[in-house]
Amino acid sequence: MKISYNWLKDFVKINIPAEELANKLSVSGFEVEEVIHMNEHLHDVYVGKITKIEKHPEADKLQICQVDVGNKQVQIITSATNVFEGAVVPVSLEGADLANGVKIKPTAFRGVKSEGMFCSGEELGIDENYIEGAGINGILILPSSMRAGEKIEDALMLNDVVFDINVTPNRPDCNSVIGIAREVCAIYDLEFTDVDYSYKATGDDVKKYINVEVKTDKCPRYMASFVKDLKIERSPLWLRSRLFSVGIKPINTIVDITNYVLIEQGQPMHAFEYKHLAGKKIIVRQAKDGEQIKVLNGNSYSLSHDDMVIADSEKPVVIAGVIGGVNSCVEEGTKETVFECAVFDLKSVRLTSRKFGLATDSSLRYSKGVYLSTPINAIKRALNLVCTLKCGTIVGGLIDTCKEKYTPRTVKASLKKIDKILGIEIDRKRIFQILNSLGIKSTINGDTIICSLPYTREDIECENDLAEELIRIYGYDVYNNIEGGAFENSSVTIGAYEPRLVMENEMKKELVDNGFYETLNYSLYSSTACEKLLIEDERKIVIKLANPISEDLSTVRTVMAHALLLDIKYNLSVGNKNLRFFETGRIYLPKALPLTELPVENNRLSIAVCEDGYDFFMLKNVMENLLLSTSCEYKIERSTEPYLHSGVSADIFAKDGKKVGWFGKIHKKILKNYDINHDVYYAELDTDYLASLPEKKFAVKELSKFPAVERDIAVVVDEEVTNKELISAIKSACGKHFDGVELFDVYRSEQLGENKKSLAYKIRLISEEKTLTTEEINAIINKVLRSLEFRYRAKLRV
Amino acid sequence: MNEKLDAILKNGLEEIEKCTDLKALDEVRVRFLGKQGELTAILRNMKEIPPEERKNVGMKANTIREKLENALSEKTNKMEEEKLLADMAKEKIDITMPSKGVKKGALHPLTRFNNKFMDICVEMGFTVIQGPEIDTDYYNFEALNVPKNHPARDMQDSLYITDNILMRTQTSNMQVHAMETIKPPFKIVCPGRVYRNDDDSSHSPIFNQFEALVVDENIGLKDLMKMIDTILKRLFGEDVKMRVRPSYFPFTEPSIEIDATCQICKGKGCSLCKGSGFSEVFGAGVVNPKVLEMSGIDSKKYSGFAFGPGIDRSVMITNRIPNIKYLFRNDIRFLKQMR
Repeated sequence: MKISYNWLKDFVKINIPAEELANKLSVSGFEVEEVIHMNEHLHDVYVGKITKIEKHPEADKLQICQVDVGNKQVQIITSATNVFEGAVVPVSLEGADLANGVKIKPTAFRGVKSEGMFCSGEELGIDENYIEGAGINGILILPSSMRAGEKIEDALMLNDVVFDINVTPNRPDCNSVIGIAREVCAIYDLEFTDVDYSYKATGDDVKKYINVEVKTDKCPRYMASFVKDLKIERSPLWLRSRLFSVGIKPINTIVDITNYVLIEQGQPMHAFEYKHLAGKKIIVRQAKDGEQIKVLNGNSYSLSHDDMVIADSEKPVVIAGVIGGVNSCVEEGTKETVFECAVFDLKSVRLTSRKFGLATDSSLRYSKGVYLSTPINAIKRALNLVCTLKCGTIVGGLIDTCKEKYTPRTVKASLKKIDKILGIEIDRKRIFQILNSLGIKSTINGDTIICSLPYTREDIECENDLAEELIRIYGYDVYNNIEGGAFENSSVTIGAYEPRLVMENEMKKELVDNGFYETLNYSLYSSTACEKLLIEDERKIVIKLANPISEDLSTVRTVMAHALLLDIKYNLSVGNKNLRFFETGRIYLPKALPLTELPVENNRLSIAVCEDGYDFFMLKNVMENLLLSTSCEYKIERSTEPYLHSGVSADIFAKDGKKVGWFGKIHKKILKNYDINHDVYYAELDTDYLASLPEKKFAVKELSKFPAVERDIAVVVDEEVTNKELISAIKSACGKHFDGVELFDVYRSEQLGENKKSLAYKIRLISEEKTLTTEEINAIINKVLRSLEFRYRAKLRV
Repeated sequence: MNEKLDAILKNGLEEIEKCTDLKALDEVRVRFLGKQGELTAILRNMKEIPPEERKNVGMKANTIREKLENALSEKTNKMEEEKLLADMAKEKIDITMPSKGVKKGALHPLTRFNNKFMDICVEMGFTVIQGPEIDTDYYNFEALNVPKNHPARDMQDSLYITDNILMRTQTSNMQVHAMETIKPPFKIVCPGRVYRNDDDSSHSPIFNQFEALVVDENIGLKDLMKMIDTILKRLFGEDVKMRVRPSYFPFTEPSIEIDATCQICKGKGCSLCKGSGFSEVFGAGVVNPKVLEMSGIDSKKYSGFAFGPGIDRSVMITNRIPNIKYLFRNDIRFLKQMR
């Protein structure tokens, strides 16, 4: 909401620097997002009168002008062709810094000095709507009545400051000059002076000209007045200046008046072209289903019963509170008009305006809320302006459909409770005074305060609301100056982390120590993700957004791998190499579609590596170490994940059979789908499941007093025999003396033969009772070798 | 005999001094103190010395022997140390060569900030909980005093799934979940992702918030202000200043926005803070009693406060991240700067 400082001054005598006022408004609940000085680029620009024009002796296209700028005469060279002797023009002199970036300094053209420049409307930041001649491609010729030497900002009434204020939804009354003015009065404890609402009307009666009928409950008040003998012309500069400052295009006297009232009083108005109102009737009603209307923006809309319209006896002429139909508005040549000043139901206007995507000054205002009390002053103010502008004859009487008599609402509250909410005690006299300055009359009786509220303060209902009003005017600085800390009068609570976060943080630390970088990806992605990953299971059932921002963000993810693969592709594309990434995040698995109940949100840890020399077993090591952060007992099997290389990947199963993760090389087809020319390793864990396991427990075995011994063996087996099989055979053959086994070499050669491999193991043996003798050790190793040979036809390699 | 002994001492010490390696030194030892050594010879031939001199000569010879032995061991130690130092000098390396082993990676800056924030809250007695990102209209809006068609819904452009289910627009949904499931008194904090139908150069459709909620007897604005003061000091340093602006959130009353000294310009005013010297960090307020009641908490007995910072911006400011899109682009050149 843009508010002009000059306009505010109509209501309150205030003259403090704009920045200071802006800051004060901000800390009082009306955040000023920007302070715009209308004259920022107008300093050193004056009204000048050209007294003499001569041709430049050296240049055909240049003219030498002598210009009266009040206290002195200056010489200006111009190439403009629309200047003439006696013309009054804007003159920028040394120091000027114009809106288009031009800075003025004295110069010379072919030996003739020029002390400044004439300005066009554009260079002053104004257009044809603001003042005639400002839109042309040439110098702005000002009215000859303007006095040479006057500052241009004064002459053109651009000496204003505009505050762009963010008005919160609970204060729709402050989407108006008058509302903000009231706040300024409260903040600075100043007197509020209202503007003039008086007007002169003929003895005639408005009811003879127009008949208003409200046939809906969504229009609690409809006021109308009638003005004839209209003079539709350009409004005076002061009015155009006000509208221009707040970003509204001046059009003509009557339209400008309705806009002026909108900004000043916060009340949308409409001025009907009377001759197009069939039957001289205004009917406020719900539209009929399928009823058509063509509106001012050129579009036609098909209405339904949910939409409210203003109709004449034949057709809808305005979508109520939103936009006027073609031919509904006053225009050049209009002789008579009906002013509408109404209150429409906020929800109804919101729905219609949303449905058609129509956001107008009027609909925005109605959607925030217009009060039953505003139309009466607003319509009077409009008629007052008609008188001031002498642009029509006002017919006597006002139509008003509102039967409700306004009685102020009261709220009863406990002062002690207010103290408790604030945590401080404000002096009772000060409470009375603050409320009074906000237009709230109060009586205090012991602990009870009874407040009588203005119509516009529907937001105030209880102690909390009053506490806010008090503290925002009293000032939040008070808390900087009081002793003590938080929670002095409340319970002690013990803080804690969610167990999953604790586990995740441990895993993250492990990964970071291992050279991994944490990524963050959107949990929304393209609907093609599953297809690209060849996923055919329940993860293909995805939740889609009803109103996505784009296709790339249309689907709620069910797979983590997609985003990490895209990250790798992106990094490779910008020349980054050796990528180790991990990410924690959620997948969202619907129980059924369309969604009737909330999906399962499952937390995952995912890992992706794209690095020269990386292999499956390096990733396996990472996974083993990560799982040490949990109490999970697990086994691995060949993976069935569709996007992993089936020969170089594993699924991780917990003891209860739950698949808690997987890891391995990405399928070559997937790499092609993502256009990645490098092997990628990927892993994932279900962190919700892992965190749900009981806390890891330790039970330490007694340490043997006797030394352990090591023996190396190498056996040749068929390729199909797995390390795991051999190790478990070794372990069981060693029996109670087993203290560990480690594969330390794998060897293949022609000599060994095709489909054969040699595996070398270091076996550790120990006894709890004695030092093992060589004979005992040899016996155990022989048993191991016999067992390996028997089970896997393993031959000792010599 | 005395002269002979003096000469042995003199010669011995000189020879020792002359030695340049351990081998030579050993030869000197043998020559004087060995079985066939000069001094040993004298001691061995004591019987040839007149008995009256024997005692003195014997004492003197032993003293000389001690002196030579001391000189020898001193010299040996010295030479051994020299050799050690010489050997070590040969091992000298270029210490500017690269380190070996795995180079550490890094957490995402958002995680680092989150962890710091959570640590502060946990120390202050808050429990960290998380909840659904896909939620019903009731938890995201209605139970927070934002009925359908309320103007406050305009403040948040939502991403809908069905008419009734949406991507949460704020972590405040967790306020309702907490109030429904935990009995007061409690203090909770919920970090999490939120979603808006908003994607431009300064907005990301997905961003991160915190939601902190306290419900207890006797909780008021003072508790909120003092707690936020502590948090800001911990996050940004003791000299941080805070500015409070009244604001509006349907679920808190009074509602405030908290600005903290702009961490880019340290309050001097810069383009980021539009010259104000402050940047917005939290929305906060005293819980609206209507919200307590809707979740079944007796607002006559209990009161509360809530605050919710959007953290992406704070992360950007504290880490001087020039572009919000960096946060989700996962460019390793960016992530490496977070080590």
